[in-house]
Amino acid sequence: MVNEEYFYLDHAATTPMRDSAFEAYRFAETEAFANSSGGHTLSRKAKNLLEDSREIVAKYFGAAPNEITFTSGGTEADNWVIKSSFQSKITDNSELITTSIEHEAVLASAEWVRENDYIVHFVSSDINGVINTQELLNKVNENTKVVSVMYANNETGIVQPIKTIAEQVKKINPNILFHSDVVQAVATEKIDFHKLGIDSAAISGHKIGAPKGIGVMFLSSKFKLPSFLHGGKQELERRAGTVNVSGVAGLAAAVSELEKNISNEKKRIEYERNSFEDKLNLEIDVKIIGKDVPRLSHISNIQFKNINSETLMIALDLKGMGVSRGSACASGAQKPSHVLKAMNISEDVINNHLRFSFGWTTKDGDGLKAADMVISSVMELS
Amino acid sequence: MRILVAMSGGVDSSVVAGLLKSQGHEVIGVTMKLWEGPNGEMPETGCCTAADSEDARKVAAKLDIPYYVLDYTASFSENVIDNFIDMYAKGLTPNPCVECNRSVKFDHFIEQAKKLNCDKVATGHYAKIVTKDENYELHKADYLEKDQSYVLHMLTSKALQKIMFPLGTISKPEVRQIAASLGLKTAFKKDSQDICFVGKKDYRQFVGTRINVNIKGNIVDKNENIYGQHNGIHEFTVGQRRGIPGGQGEPKYVTKIDVNNSKVYIGNKKDLTTKKFLLDDVSFVNQPEYSNLSIQTRYNSFDIPCEIKELDTGTFEVELIEPTFGVAPGQFGVIYQGTKLIGGGRISSKVLEEINE
Repeated sequence: MVNEEYFYLDHAATTPMRDSAFEAYRFAETEAFANSSGGHTLSRKAKNLLEDSREIVAKYFGAAPNEITFTSGGTEADNWVIKSSFQSKITDNSELITTSIEHEAVLASAEWVRENDYIVHFVSSDINGVINTQELLNKVNENTKVVSVMYANNETGIVQPIKTIAEQVKKINPNILFHSDVVQAVATEKIDFHKLGIDSAAISGHKIGAPKGIGVMFLSSKFKLPSFLHGGKQELERRAGTVNVSGVAGLAAAVSELEKNISNEKKRIEYERNSFEDKLNLEIDVKIIGKDVPRLSHISNIQFKNINSETLMIALDLKGMGVSRGSACASGAQKPSHVLKAMNISEDVINNHLRFSFGWTTKDGDGLKAADMVISSVMELS
Repeated sequence: MRILVAMSGGVDSSVVAGLLKSQGHEVIGVTMKLWEGPNGEMPETGCCTAADSEDARKVAAKLDIPYYVLDYTASFSENVIDNFIDMYAKGLTPNPCVECNRSVKFDHFIEQAKKLNCDKVATGHYAKIVTKDENYELHKADYLEKDQSYVLHMLTSKALQKIMFPLGTISKPEVRQIAASLGLKTAFKKDSQDICFVGKKDYRQFVGTRINVNIKGNIVDKNENIYGQHNGIHEFTVGQRRGIPGGQGEPKYVTKIDVNNSKVYIGNKKDLTTKKFLLDDVSFVNQPEYSNLSIQTRYNSFDIPCEIKELDTGTFEVELIEPTFGVAPGQFGVIYQGTKLIGGGRISSKVLEEINE
């Protein structure tokens, strides 16, 4: 593989497919390629694979199989839950509460709701990247229909106290649908949706070594949402369109691997991430974002002193290391991050941040190797 | 050498990247994102549209070179757009492309190159760098039809040391031929002419939405006879015919704009004649020269023989051998000695007022 020499530290953006997922995908495309909604032998084979896979995925997340609907990815799941809860023509005084540090899939869906004249609250974050729970609770009332808070932020890895927030929100208004984008979190956290106390969640396959183009919308059986895509009666009539069975099979394989391995994988990733950060901290002037609050094991958001991260990113790429800043726009130009802005990171250093993200391919020694490359690039740029 | 190439997505800069790569250099392509709409969208026209950066990326992929988009929107907005609006508000005629080269593009680009350990930067401009003794001189391109040295007049010998203009000795048809032979998809792409942040829209509309300049006023002749009304001085530049009430016999032109009284003066073509004017903020590529000079008062205009005299630091008086029409305050006057570019500066608003009266 050509990319073997390239040092990939952008797993929060996407991960390469696990061998087991690739194998399952391939098997599905060759042996169970038929339309899972059809009536013949091969269709049944596909349907059986689909439902077996659904059980694996549901079990891992502590959900019932009929609470799992397969989507094209996390973005679709976020859009579905938020937008389907609010009709495009305003009919009531429902309100939406979300946060200013959400992924664009949630933020833009919330904007859509607001443009349809509903009241939408964007709860702020404190300087540590943790949202202000009290501010959120103050907004909850009898009209609140959906509260959407991400489990962990994709740029900083900072984890929100979802269980506590969900509990307190429900105390005020038990009818609220509590949604959580867990896309980034599931890479290194084992999550049980019901124990966590959330009613819906968005998952993306490609962040955990499954294929791209497959995701999950978890929706508690206590809730019903209108269909988002209209057409055939697939997925218990919830989502039209021929089901991406091979993607689902790949996702189930990746989930099975996590089921067996997540604690070891997480330990390895966290060790490498920490040795990376420790070495940087020792040798150059950096600030590690979220160091003192709960944080995902695979993400390291670093603020460099007097180094523009656009330039550092290019310098690292030219050396053969791939990392990223916040979210990239269509042209590839990198904009200051809305997450860091929400954390009140000052204008003069907001462009000094890079996100390094480790993942299932991370090997022993990667942390120190990464630190060495970054340190030498920083020295050259200073 | 490691060379940073500014790639706009047009054929010229594509060929520069291709040529340098084929000469064995390590080429890094960069598109400078200068302007975006309120939602981060790229401009639809001009030199850096979304489609253009997509073209640049494709060319870079074809040439197998690293390619990046860099964000200079803040600097562009501050230095070019604010200036553009300010100039119209003052009744001057801005040249945003020169302003962009002057205060955004080259500075950032050379700085970026230094950081990335590049030996040189290169662009697809049609101009020539000639080394003589210790000095780097800027000359018109061999292919005069496309010569762009005018918009590069602010570059000093020191900056030129770091710059390459590989198209200085090549004609446009040859450039297209090279692009085609390299299999670049930009080979037959049309050249862009629009101002990137205004696009196909009328610049008057753009300025009008940015500041409140819509103060109505009178259109008068030099004897203060009123010919009509206008909707704001930003709709006029010196030398313009558009927007002036017709039926005056001889064609009328804007000759002067009185910002304080919101008055637009009009006159006959001969009233626009200038023999002497001032240049402000003058810079020279090397030392000033005083013999056998000529000047261009607009991009792609004629060379007019002239003499220059320093009045104050950075301020020069230009005396044309023959009077000319339409010297517009705000535009740049660029001084040549034959094909060699000596320097240039901004045409002062004092141009048609004090000196010629």
